Amino acid sequence: MAKVVKTRIEMEGETVERSVVVEGEAPPPWTEDTVLSLIGGARPRVDGPARVSGRAVYTADVRLPGMLYAKILRCPHAHARLRRIDVAPAMALRGVRAVLSHRTAPPIQWQNGVLLFDETLRFAGDEVAAVAADDEDIAQDALELIEVDYEVLPFVVDPEAALRPDAPRIHPRGNRSSPPRVYQRGDVARGFADADIVVETVVRTPTALHNCMEPHGSVAWRDGDTLVIWDSTQHVHGVREQVAETLGLPLSRVRVISEYIGGGFGSKQGVGKYTIIAALLARLTSRPVQLMLDRREENLATGNRHETIQRLRIGARRDGSLTAIDLRAIAAIGAYGGQPMAIAGPVQEFYRCPNVLTEEVGAFTNTGPTCAFRAPGYTEGAYGLETALDELAARLEIDPLELRLRNYADVNPVSGRPFSSKPLRELYRLGAEQIGWHDKRRPECGPTGARRRGVGMATATWGGGGGPPAHALVRINSDATVDVLVGTQDIGTGTKTVLATIAAEELGLSIQAVRVALGDTLAGPYCPVSAGSMTVASVGPAVRQAAREARQALRDVAATFLEVPASQLDIQDGEIVATMSPDRRMTIEDLAGRLNRFQIIGKGSRGANPNDVDIRTFGAQFAEVQVDTETGQVEVCRLVAVHECGRVINPLTTSSQVEGGVVQGIGYALMEERIVDPRTGKVLNPNLDDYKLPTVQDAPVVEVTMDDHVDERANVLGAKGLGEPPIIPTAPAIANAVAHALGRPLVEFPLTRARLLQALQEGQVGNGSSHPRPLSPRERGRGHRR
Amino acid sequence: MKTFEHVEPKATRDALGQLAGDGLTFPIAGGTDLLTVMKKEIVRAQRLVNLKEIAELRYIREDSRGGLRLGALATLDEVERHPLVRERYPALAQAIAVSASPQLRTMGTIGGNLCQHSRCWYYREDFHCWLKGGEVCYARDGQNAQHAIFGGGPCYSTQPSDPGPALVALGARVRILGPSADRERTIPIEELFVVPTEDRRRLTALAPDELIVEVQVSRPAPGQRSRYLKAMDRAIWAFALVSVAANLRLDGGRIAEARLVLGGVAPKPWRAHDAEAALAGRPLDTAAIADATRAAVRGAQPLVHNAYKVPLAEGLVKRILEDLVE
Ligand SMILES: Cc1cc2nc3c(=O)[nH]c(=O)nc-3n(C[C@H](O)[C@H](O)[C@H](O)COP(=O)(O)OP(=O)(O)OC[C@H]3O[C@@H](n4cnc5c(N)ncnc54)[C@H](O)[C@@H]3O)c2cc1C
Ligand code: SF4
Repeated sequence: MAKVVKTRIEMEGETVERSVVVEGEAPPPWTEDTVLSLIGGARPRVDGPARVSGRAVYTADVRLPGMLYAKILRCPHAHARLRRIDVAPAMALRGVRAVLSHRTAPPIQWQNGVLLFDETLRFAGDEVAAVAADDEDIAQDALELIEVDYEVLPFVVDPEAALRPDAPRIHPRGNRSSPPRVYQRGDVARGFADADIVVETVVRTPTALHNCMEPHGSVAWRDGDTLVIWDSTQHVHGVREQVAETLGLPLSRVRVISEYIGGGFGSKQGVGKYTIIAALLARLTSRPVQLMLDRREENLATGNRHETIQRLRIGARRDGSLTAIDLRAIAAIGAYGGQPMAIAGPVQEFYRCPNVLTEEVGAFTNTGPTCAFRAPGYTEGAYGLETALDELAARLEIDPLELRLRNYADVNPVSGRPFSSKPLRELYRLGAEQIGWHDKRRPECGPTGARRRGVGMATATWGGGGGPPAHALVRINSDATVDVLVGTQDIGTGTKTVLATIAAEELGLSIQAVRVALGDTLAGPYCPVSAGSMTVASVGPAVRQAAREARQALRDVAATFLEVPASQLDIQDGEIVATMSPDRRMTIEDLAGRLNRFQIIGKGSRGANPNDVDIRTFGAQFAEVQVDTETGQVEVCRLVAVHECGRVINPLTTSSQVEGGVVQGIGYALMEERIVDPRTGKVLNPNLDDYKLPTVQDAPVVEVTMDDHVDERANVLGAKGLGEPPIIPTAPAIANAVAHALGRPLVEFPLTRARLLQALQEGQVGNGSSHPRPLSPRERGRGHRR
Repeated sequence: MKTFEHVEPKATRDALGQLAGDGLTFPIAGGTDLLTVMKKEIVRAQRLVNLKEIAELRYIREDSRGGLRLGALATLDEVERHPLVRERYPALAQAIAVSASPQLRTMGTIGGNLCQHSRCWYYREDFHCWLKGGEVCYARDGQNAQHAIFGGGPCYSTQPSDPGPALVALGARVRILGPSADRERTIPIEELFVVPTEDRRRLTALAPDELIVEVQVSRPAPGQRSRYLKAMDRAIWAFALVSVAANLRLDGGRIAEARLVLGGVAPKPWRAHDAEAALAGRPLDTAAIADATRAAVRGAQPLVHNAYKVPLAEGLVKRILEDLVE
């Protein structure tokens, strides 16, 4: 029976209420007491061999008869208008099949009232034209033959400069990308008046680039009346919708396929210009068209974590209890987009604080557009909040961990609701014990000598509760295997493995007997975007319900043959067994044989979220670093990551999420930074040489501890998401460890040698003995500048 | 990358005959650098003369006087692993060990390494900068965190090679052959590296129709010790922000001869002559080290974003000298 329910769903810092269809009967929750044989076991990826052997077909591997290759001509200027574009010389090149430009492409609306191929180009890398040709080299040569006459316009790349009244306008309505987003609780003015101490700081975080291993790209092919698109995407159903809408096609006439994806990290959540361009070129040429971006295009035009400037004021009483937090954040949105990501999320919900005011402002800049990047906003915001809190702790001479405990939020400070579960205290305890926190933070362990050790920690809070809509089908085949059909995708996180485990557990089959078909809108029913750490918690329960329904149907059918009530039948290793009289049994093959190859199909959907609790995931990370004050080197010696995601379905997929997040966080802390030339607005390091990603040598052994408990209120699995939380606390934990080692905080990130040595030179950092000075009574109550 | 002709001479003489010096013909060894600049069309080659088939250029051996001879085609990996190199020329082995990545060291040759193109990001991206024949150096007033603090202007690029400073410190020489016999010469490697000038916009003194055929290093004297240290923005697989090669000869507890060469600070490996002088004749003690450290950066002229290289160079010089104390 289908019913429409209203439910709250949190995603990437935003909570929405939605009406969704929920079908069938939700299975009883797997509780702490449920005996499970597969869930919780360390199991390798079911698609590991396919991925490492090269058998897995990624978008770039798709080869279709007559397929053409497309390339995009990108604007070399940060801001320009097309005066003239002549594609005739390119068209004349042998092997060129079609060229699209502002003059010839249909006037498709893209973002911010701008066309897919617009007359105005707003960043160096903006799309000017596209070519489809017999091979990539011809397409590349053709690009160079396109004659473009640009009127170069004034540009702005710095977000603060962009907000000044005299800044060059990027869009007609000005450079504010959206109205400022303001959040308020209590009264900060009163909160600061009540404070014994106020810490004031300006934290700057860099533009970080996703650098997914697999670049963005699509193959478009018109198969009869259906437009088939292979796409490297985090959301096949979303891309289908957006393609249908953009091209004016019925939804059912678009099919999107994405069986293997080499990472997305938020940058592949929706349709890309390249997808539409490939589809248009395919239509123009009546041939399949492949359009894959290269690394340079990846790093210019497919999104980034926005640069932020965070002005933070934190007021506290002498005992450390927070009285007020005021955050004014500015983010560089790039040339297109809307609101900034949830930078204020950490300030709003990490700690109990009665008076909070946050304002987030997005500035258009003549740089590549920003987009979600693993825990968008929170990762930036945690950098600011968590480093500022350590400064507060130092000034109050309170242990930073103790300061956090004193402001522990037992209920969600934003909604006032309790959490479905919040074992953060325990995570703190475990992490502190493992790194030896209390020993290493003793005052007499203060900084001395050229090579100094420091330890620091930081907190993570994130969504990850998931929610409907998410649907699944489970089909029991007559050879005793099972197909799980879902419209989700595995972006590299292990979704296939986890879903197979859930279905096998429910059905009493081995994981090998289960095949998960995902990443195809034709085969799988609707599932949400693989983002917001919501896949397991959204799709998992739907799969479980479908498997349960199939299992019940199987028992019903078997009951008539075994002459035992269905309730007394169990399924064990592909056999249906009467629990009371185990000699009464039959194999699934047997049963199917007798039923003319009848297939049992179970249907499942994700139920509503509870409305009396908030579902969040928590984590804490502890870093130990060695800072070489003579050479500016920061070495991360140890990184202890303690997280929870409710029930751990597979310790291997969870630890690989944590390790990946931490390593990405190390990059964000120490080396990753897009560099833009101030005089031309061009990116200087859109590559892997000068944009530094951490190597294996930069990462310590990540010490992962999962607090494995069943979050019974979350959903019928008791499991929550874990994709994003691990990156949130890494950078601030490292920055705090560096601050501990140096005796002074640093506020500009990443902590490259240049920044560190600069700070040491400017005497910003104490020399050995200088611990941060506590506040004099005179300074109390008013803002203190570093 | 555009279509080009590829020729494969089997002998050095033939290769030299093929190098036209027309600006369109280039020798290729491992190709790890040349192909990157060709793909970006910084170099528009019409003809490549492949050196890899020239067996006579691929060797590592000891000469009759106990010195080291490296054929230009010896790969970085082969050089680094060679027992003679590890034992007698630690600075060179250490410099290679922190260069690039294992894959690149397996492909890249010592000859190619000394001739690699600038890593300045303006040079590598689509800026028609001075070194590429344009009018302006974009780095001078731009994003110049990686650029020169010594010897800059008109170009502020640094010399990217790590073996370079090590070989300068070791007093190596290079043998160069040209199209005719009278162009054959063997010069101190220090003279191979140059600060680019108006009429020679490149990082080496090599003419386009010349080849490096051999690197020679003499046998270290008793009491000689060498080291290489490199600072990068990550643990490995990055060019030097600053590096330092040291080669000291100690005699009776005193420094009889010192060579200190900085990498990553100038368009060529930069001899820290003042620091060398500060060490000469003194015991390698704290005072000498402190003096040398200060002297090493004397005269540095940082740009807006690279002032950190001054303390970094000091830090590395201090470290390397401390390491050399027994
Ligand atoms: C990602 C990356 C990281 C790197 N990191 C480092 C590093 O940390 N430290 C470092 O030192 N290097 C580094 N390198 C550079 C690398 O070491 C060089 O690319 C390599 O040594 C060049 O050797 P090759 O044989 O491949 O030269 P090629 O690419 O074949 O040639 C390079 C240049 O030298 C010329 N040439 C080659 N052989 C001769 C010859 N015998 N005589 C005259 N001219 C010749 C070519 O015409 C060309 O201009 C890095 C390179 C890459 C791509
Ligand atoms: S430093 Fe040299 S290579 Fe770089 S922009 Fe200036 S001239 Fe060009």
